[in-house]
Amino acid sequence: MTVRIGIPRGLLYYQYGALWERFLQGLGAEVVVTGDTSKATLDCGSVLDDVCLPVKVYFGHIYELAARNVDYLFTPRIISVAARQYCCPKIIGMPDILHSNMEQLPPLLDINVNLHQNGCSLYQAVIAAGRRLGKNPLFSLYAWHNAWQNHRREQPFFCPCRTDRQRIGLIGHSYIIHDHQISMNVIDKLSNLGFEVITPDMVSLCQAAAAAKTLNKKIFWSNSHHMAGAALTLIQSTPPVDGLIFMTSFACGPDALIGELIKRRAHALNIPCMLLTVDEHTAEAGFVTRLEAFTDMLSRRRQPC
Amino acid sequence: MLITFPHMGDMSIVLKTLFNGLGRQVSVPPPISKRTLELGMKYSPETVCLPFKVNVGNFIEALEQGADTIVTCGGVGPCRLGYYAEIQRSILQDLGFRFDMIVVEPAITNILKNLHRVAPKQSLPNIYSAFRLATAKMNTLDSLQQKVYRLQPREINPGEADSVRLQGVREIDTAETLTALAAVRQETESKLDSVKLRSGIQPLRIGIVGEIYVMLEPFMNQDLASHLGNMGVEVHQTMFLSDYVNGHLFRKQEYLKLFQHLAALAQPYLRHTIGGHSLKSIGHTVNMGRKNFDGVIHIFPFTCMPEIVAKNILPKVSSDANIPVLSLTFDEQSGEAGLMTRLEAFVDLLKYRRSSQTAADPD
Ligand code: SF4
Repeated sequence: MTVRIGIPRGLLYYQYGALWERFLQGLGAEVVVTGDTSKATLDCGSVLDDVCLPVKVYFGHIYELAARNVDYLFTPRIISVAARQYCCPKIIGMPDILHSNMEQLPPLLDINVNLHQNGCSLYQAVIAAGRRLGKNPLFSLYAWHNAWQNHRREQPFFCPCRTDRQRIGLIGHSYIIHDHQISMNVIDKLSNLGFEVITPDMVSLCQAAAAAKTLNKKIFWSNSHHMAGAALTLIQSTPPVDGLIFMTSFACGPDALIGELIKRRAHALNIPCMLLTVDEHTAEAGFVTRLEAFTDMLSRRRQPC
Repeated sequence: MLITFPHMGDMSIVLKTLFNGLGRQVSVPPPISKRTLELGMKYSPETVCLPFKVNVGNFIEALEQGADTIVTCGGVGPCRLGYYAEIQRSILQDLGFRFDMIVVEPAITNILKNLHRVAPKQSLPNIYSAFRLATAKMNTLDSLQQKVYRLQPREINPGEADSVRLQGVREIDTAETLTALAAVRQETESKLDSVKLRSGIQPLRIGIVGEIYVMLEPFMNQDLASHLGNMGVEVHQTMFLSDYVNGHLFRKQEYLKLFQHLAALAQPYLRHTIGGHSLKSIGHTVNMGRKNFDGVIHIFPFTCMPEIVAKNILPKVSSDANIPVLSLTFDEQSGEAGLMTRLEAFVDLLKYRRSSQTAADPD
């Protein structure tokens, strides 16, 4: 019988989900991914105290999976995805939060991924995951290799070409801006207002890293490093984007600093920048008003007076 | 060069001694006040943690009184502290201050390089003796504080022990040699020894775990320890400045051993370090449960990432280790009244637990 492995649609799923799915399928597993975040997901996540919305959402997805009769939950402990960088402490501690707050979980595939000092650790993690499913190391590495080939081909590149529409850089964690519930469909809303939206995942790692070189000190959270680099790419390109929106969750630790950093850089270049903070109580009406006010202002700036 | 640095409890005394010993003038920021906090709140990002804001307030007030060099610490993550200085520098520059910022990264090469910037012409023996006096003061301050925690719940005249300590602190501040320091220490200790105590009481024992800044800065924790002391509780603070310096900077064996021990105790609950002190918060809680402490208070600044993870794990630890845990977050809005109500309720709970345990246990 094939093993069923559940993957929660939250946090790093938005960056690595397709890769994980292919890898696990390559190992012969049947993969179950949760659906889009709903109000119910949020409610389940609200048992956690003081954490940011994305963590609550992740918890809610786990809840859903636990009820869906899977053999394992795929919840790798992602400590670091690049040399001398870390993930946010909440992401690193996620498997422990799950263990301490949920009774009767299916077994977690919580292998450690830590590339902080040692790039080979990724292969150890791949082998460890395979071993849990009774596969030998070579087989696992082969499955990973296949999945990775696909992932690599999907690398983006940002090209600052002129378009007739005004462009807005929407900077935020992918699990915030691409989750319809958390982001209140911000991307669609902006497109409907007639804007072209550029998100950090449209800027390649190399482009972002090159732009981030102008920072005094390298940012040690991978995601934040990429977000800041992407924002800088967008505001320093010729022509630069017309405006920036930094979208963050209330109580996000890294964003409190990175938002400030980006805001300062944008102001120095005279590019309008708005901070948009969401939590589970954010009301749609107020949210839309703020978007409209910001985009109105951008449209007026474009018109020669 | 007129040096300043952020406040953290009695740390200013230690750093002032160090920099003076290195031949530098120091401008200690005014004690943290409402104004410090207001300045910090006004110019910091809104949702950053409270230590960041208080630091900004300290820096502004010190620069106003003429300081031109800020010495502060860096870090390599994943706690936010490591990136504080980058943002703070730009905030202060935008306010129009001219200054130099020396960010000490936790690596010995970086420390030596910065030492050279601060004290370019000092001889090695000089540097050594500056460090000796500063660390001796640090150890003295911490051990006096520990002694006061033991006395507070037992003293007949509330506040007596702490006022003896405060007198000692002022004298430690001005002591210029190791001999003078030793004399102050001896005198203060003997005064403490003669504080009149009630006999035959067994106060509640509560351990304090959590984030270092909130633990060490009374302004941040709203004098938590004294409130507890006045309620008749014996406070066990799990971290002092000396623990941090001896463990993290000097990497002394005994501290590394202790840390390994705590990590092992925390292992079933938190299986990887996530920065900050969360691993220790959990390890200490397990440990105190085993040692029959009455309770644990877990304190941290609002939105502190590592401790929020710990907070979401501690309820499980608390029930497994059979020890009540109270988590308290501090931000600029935390009022003293709210704190007192929660402390009183917690202390009552612990008293009740103790009395029902002794009732159930006839010997
Ligand atoms: S980076 Fe921010 S949003 Fe993401 S898990 Fe950490 S605190 Fe939450």
